Amino acid sequence: MLNTRLLTGRLGQLVLSLFVLIAVTFVIGRMLPTDPVGAIVGELASPEAYEAMRVRMGLDQPLIMQFFRYVTDLLQGDMGVAAMTGNPVLQDLAIAAPATLELATLAIIISFVLGVPLGLAAALRRDTWVDQVARIISLVGHSIPVFWFGIIGLIVFYAWLGLIGGPGRVDVFYEGLVPPVTGMITIDSLIAGRFDIFGNAMSHIILPAMMLAYAAMAYITRMTRAFTLEQLGQDYVTAARAKGASQTRLLFRHILPNIAVQLITILAISYGGLLEGAVVTEIVFSWPGLGQYMTNALLIGDINAVLAATIVIGIVFMVLNFLSDIAYAMLDPRTREAR
Amino acid sequence: MRTGFRRTVLAALIASAATIGTAQARTPADTLVYGTSLAQVISLDPHQGQDVTALEIMANLYDRLVASTPDGKLVPQLAASWEVDASAITFHLRPEALFASGRPVTAEDVVWSLTRLMQLNQAPASKLSLTGYTKDNIADLLHVIDPHTLRIDLTGDVAGDLLMYRLSEVATSVVDRDLVEPNDVEGDLGNAWLRNHAAGSGPFSLQAWRPNDIVLMNARPDYWGGAPELSRVVMRHVPESQIERLMLERGDIDIAGALSSGDIAYFRDAGEVGIQAIPTGGFYVLAMNMEKPELADPLVREAIFRSIDYAGIQSAILGPYGTERHVPVPAGYADAVADPPDWSFDPDAAKALLAESDYPEGFALTIKTINQTPRVEIATAVQAGLARIGIRASVVQGSGADIVSQHRGRDFDILIPQTGSYMPNVMGAMEQFSSNPDNRKEANNAGNFVWRSAWDIPELTKITAQALRENDPAARSLLFTQMQEQFIEAVPAVFPMFERFQPIGVSKRVEGYHGHPQNVVRLDAVTKTE
Repeated sequence: MLNTRLLTGRLGQLVLSLFVLIAVTFVIGRMLPTDPVGAIVGELASPEAYEAMRVRMGLDQPLIMQFFRYVTDLLQGDMGVAAMTGNPVLQDLAIAAPATLELATLAIIISFVLGVPLGLAAALRRDTWVDQVARIISLVGHSIPVFWFGIIGLIVFYAWLGLIGGPGRVDVFYEGLVPPVTGMITIDSLIAGRFDIFGNAMSHIILPAMMLAYAAMAYITRMTRAFTLEQLGQDYVTAARAKGASQTRLLFRHILPNIAVQLITILAISYGGLLEGAVVTEIVFSWPGLGQYMTNALLIGDINAVLAATIVIGIVFMVLNFLSDIAYAMLDPRTREAR
Repeated sequence: MRTGFRRTVLAALIASAATIGTAQARTPADTLVYGTSLAQVISLDPHQGQDVTALEIMANLYDRLVASTPDGKLVPQLAASWEVDASAITFHLRPEALFASGRPVTAEDVVWSLTRLMQLNQAPASKLSLTGYTKDNIADLLHVIDPHTLRIDLTGDVAGDLLMYRLSEVATSVVDRDLVEPNDVEGDLGNAWLRNHAAGSGPFSLQAWRPNDIVLMNARPDYWGGAPELSRVVMRHVPESQIERLMLERGDIDIAGALSSGDIAYFRDAGEVGIQAIPTGGFYVLAMNMEKPELADPLVREAIFRSIDYAGIQSAILGPYGTERHVPVPAGYADAVADPPDWSFDPDAAKALLAESDYPEGFALTIKTINQTPRVEIATAVQAGLARIGIRASVVQGSGADIVSQHRGRDFDILIPQTGSYMPNVMGAMEQFSSNPDNRKEANNAGNFVWRSAWDIPELTKITAQALRENDPAARSLLFTQMQEQFIEAVPAVFPMFERFQPIGVSKRVEGYHGHPQNVVRLDAVTKTE
């Protein structure tokens, strides 16, 4: 059913883009005027100690050699050691990535569950108060900075009302009690059967997830509305209406299947954006995810960590794109039949 | 199966609803929760790590031979007693001290640790290298007498009682040789391993450290000084001051270590939280590069001193972070001399001085600073002051790694670094301002603040070295006074503006936490009320 030539073509593109991504990030990273050696040996170290560490980190080699070494190691699954933590980068990412994944996944679910119906309603009730309300909601979500919004959310729901947990993933006395399996505390606590910890983790994740979801929802609502309006103007809708199809039938039988493909693309883009774009949210909510890891790495010029995080996010993006392409091909009869 | 799953989901939902309704806020009474930025904690190897937060952590994982109290008295730690004579110090270790691994701490471990400090040759090694110990001579100067006695020979560069303060710092922590040595990789003396493990004999053991997230320490019931009152210490990464304030208010953290002066002011009147301004003995400094001809002119430097509105900065920016002081010795220390009256803020005098110099029309320069409160704000205020007298300055901000490497490379005009003091006397605070053994660029003595400013002060360097060696208290006190007088006379290129304090917010539930200038607060005596 699927076109294999299309598939291999896409895969080839994926590998090529990945290589370009690595090369560009590497060069930019090495050209930044940061001093990873200084960050490690410290302000008062002797020049001799400084030089020794530079050699140990391989920074005395020519750039092209450094790159060659990096790519060779990478092909063997070795992303190097993070200067920032002294751990293999892969090990750091295995801790940071699930934290971000947990947050972004919950956020994308919330934003989709709320955003799509809102967009549909706005389109079907175009120019009525429903449409206006939806417009205001998405405008606000789009324009208010997450930083400000996050702090206000914390002040209201955490400091004043005491309804939710504060920054961090769980309360302090629950730290380190569940054995990490997936690295996502909500899931690990369920696996361990600790519902109290699950509840606590939910009370901590809910606000940052809502903050992220709101911004994503604004986009999803607007796009859903636009897609639906486009369909509503089509002849087949008029025909269906003329046949006496109910609003519900029209929506579920005709419009939704037609915009499903476009919605999947939006979903993939938003999800990718949430995975890499959570830096500010992570800082406000002391969330130890990829965004914070990468920012801190960038600040001290820890190029191994920056590169690895970039590659991981790049791969996620590309895979999401790839999957949405395939979904396209499967759902859209036109692409399916194209030879 | 299906109903089982459904029941699980239902139970989880109910549990989460219940917890969301009554989100628990207060921390448990047996756990101390410290919220601060952990971004700079990059190594927990005591012979490598040097960030202030890392020092706080390591001070509780490791013991040193001796310790110092917040007001600067030396007290026994691993060494129960010691004798100082003209050529050496002999230490008698506590036989009951055990490493977390259960092995007794021996003189062998102490000697191995101090040798490792010098051989690893990272930033903390400078603590001993400034007193004449090097990686080449250290082995010859340390002697194991018996399993619980050791002798440290003096190098002649430093008096015994001054060396003792160096031995009270985290840098000279004693590590468990049997744990660290087997983890040596390519001659790194176990550094890669010890960066994120612990091998000490302190009152707490390390349960986990997840960078930029959390540090968990557990009390050791078998600690030689008795089991700590707390059973757990948690350091949590909370980089944002406002968030820290919310958490401290809610009772989710007990101590907040990275509060801005605005948030500190907020707690001034709040009942649940007390503010401690920990004196660091150090300074916010105006470092001027003498390789820039304009700044090499003493008249220009004095004009700059007088152009800055110190009182304004202190009230509007610093608050609890600092007080005006222009001699690099805190005013409260013994032998401290008074500020010279003609370095105070006076724009007219500043203009007159500049007019008298070779640059009456003014000139342009850059002010570099780490993008960190309150240094950025100080830089901006200095810029405004300079503008008042016709010196056109632009402020360049950068990350710590950036700015420090430019400072090390003499690549700046004016830069705003900060210092700390390693012992509560003139030498501890002033050494970084008064010693520059070789000012040549090739000497590349990048660890030295004076060298970085290319400020050549052979006479002052000589007196400083002499004071370090002097055993007689009266003669030393005389030299200390001389050091400060000469410093003033030389119109410093490394100019102290404000004595530096580190304010922290501490919940009233916490008792016995007294901030320490060298960041070595022991948490075993800290208690918490319900």
